[in-house]
Amino acid sequence: MVNNALRINPADNVVVAIRNVKKGEPVVVAGETLFEAAQDVELGHKIALSPIKSGSQVIRYGEPILKATCDIQQGEWVHLHNTQPELLYTAP
Amino acid sequence: MEFNGYKRETGEYGVRNHILVTSSVSCANGVVAALGRKFPDIIAVQNAYGCGTGLEDAATGWLIIAGLMKNPNVGAALIIGLGCELIQPQLFADAVKGKPVEVLKIQGAGSAATTKKAIEIIKKFKKHLSSQKRVKAPFSELLIGLECGGSDALSGVTANPAVGVASDLFIKEGASALFGEITEMIGTDHILKKRCVTPELGEKVQKLIIDHEKLIRELAGPLAGLTISPGNMEGGLSSIVEKSLGCITKAGSAPIVDCIGYGLRPTKKGLMIMEGPGYDIENMTGMAACGAQIIIFTTGRGTPAGTPAVPVIKVSTNTRTFVEMKGDIDINAGTIIDAGKTVEDVGGQIFDFTLAVANGKLTCAEINKSEPFSYAKNHMSG
Repeated sequence: MVNNALRINPADNVVVAIRNVKKGEPVVVAGETLFEAAQDVELGHKIALSPIKSGSQVIRYGEPILKATCDIQQGEWVHLHNTQPELLYTAP
Repeated sequence: MEFNGYKRETGEYGVRNHILVTSSVSCANGVVAALGRKFPDIIAVQNAYGCGTGLEDAATGWLIIAGLMKNPNVGAALIIGLGCELIQPQLFADAVKGKPVEVLKIQGAGSAATTKKAIEIIKKFKKHLSSQKRVKAPFSELLIGLECGGSDALSGVTANPAVGVASDLFIKEGASALFGEITEMIGTDHILKKRCVTPELGEKVQKLIIDHEKLIRELAGPLAGLTISPGNMEGGLSSIVEKSLGCITKAGSAPIVDCIGYGLRPTKKGLMIMEGPGYDIENMTGMAACGAQIIIFTTGRGTPAGTPAVPVIKVSTNTRTFVEMKGDIDINAGTIIDAGKTVEDVGGQIFDFTLAVANGKLTCAEINKSEPFSYAKNHMSG
């Protein structure tokens, strides 16, 4: 199967769509079919690799980038609607 | 590992053997332009400033222009002055050792006579340089600049990680690399701090990034959040940390050994940060003044920009930009998402291409003579 998502770092709990992915389509990473996309996800956007509980960190590039603001299921689109930035854009 | 370079009397090696003509002040640029027309194969750099500014900005101009004259890719340099400017051309020439350097001033002679004298100097330089051959050069003498511009959602997915792989390979083999654009590190200060080789350096880097964030907010006010723009968000980025993490992947995973000022010469070997703006042209100018012999530049939306005297290798993040801007882009990292290549594959490809460029292969920006030049002012503070 052709890869439609990419994982940057082994510690990541999201993958990035490398083409537009339709709801119900298998998410294929490094030649392996993982699960079905729970929604349409556009090229460049993130898909949850595993369930992310509300308040837990979204990890990308091996680093926390966001905090889930509600429970996110495997295969769901991860973006501004269900997360907030892990670090606020304010310096001390 | 080795490359084949032009040895300088200072012990440095260039990947090119350029004749550089430049000016200490913009008033002299007519002569620089005339020489560029007469000799299309030389590097003719017009200094847009040089007088009528505060001392701090004039000092930056001196640092950058003299730094470019000192770059190991320059085999010989001629600087044209007017005669009454703030920093005289001789002061630029005095900073340059180990290669032929000449100074001409227009006042007292006129531009036509100065141009005539300059033509004789350039012919003399050409004769001198034509007999010079490349010799074996150690990787420890190679300094590579890492740059990203016109970024898109894929920058952190394809091109930047691939450049990071190449950078790590170069560092492992003894070369050094430089990355900057502090605006695009906002949100990653805690990560870069950990990669620094000493706690003091970590504190310095963290402070640099946080101070820059404060400056951006002071300057941009309510628009400060646009460092992650609606375009970035539409493209899939959800936080400033995520965007900056994508930018810093071009620096691979090597430890950070130093943080140097804009245009200053490194004193250490390895991966380093150079203070500097997010503006591509000025960042590249700074890296050239630091002595970088090659720059690797990733781009999503595409840009043809190179920089004078230093070969710039363009890596596109996606195939569409590579195809649309054929002739401006050297390597397509879009193969990571549409042709089954891995980040490691393309990283290896970038490494091999960079080595070929070091040994004489021309980049698109060199072939097109696309070498915009300007430098950041007010950079000596912080």
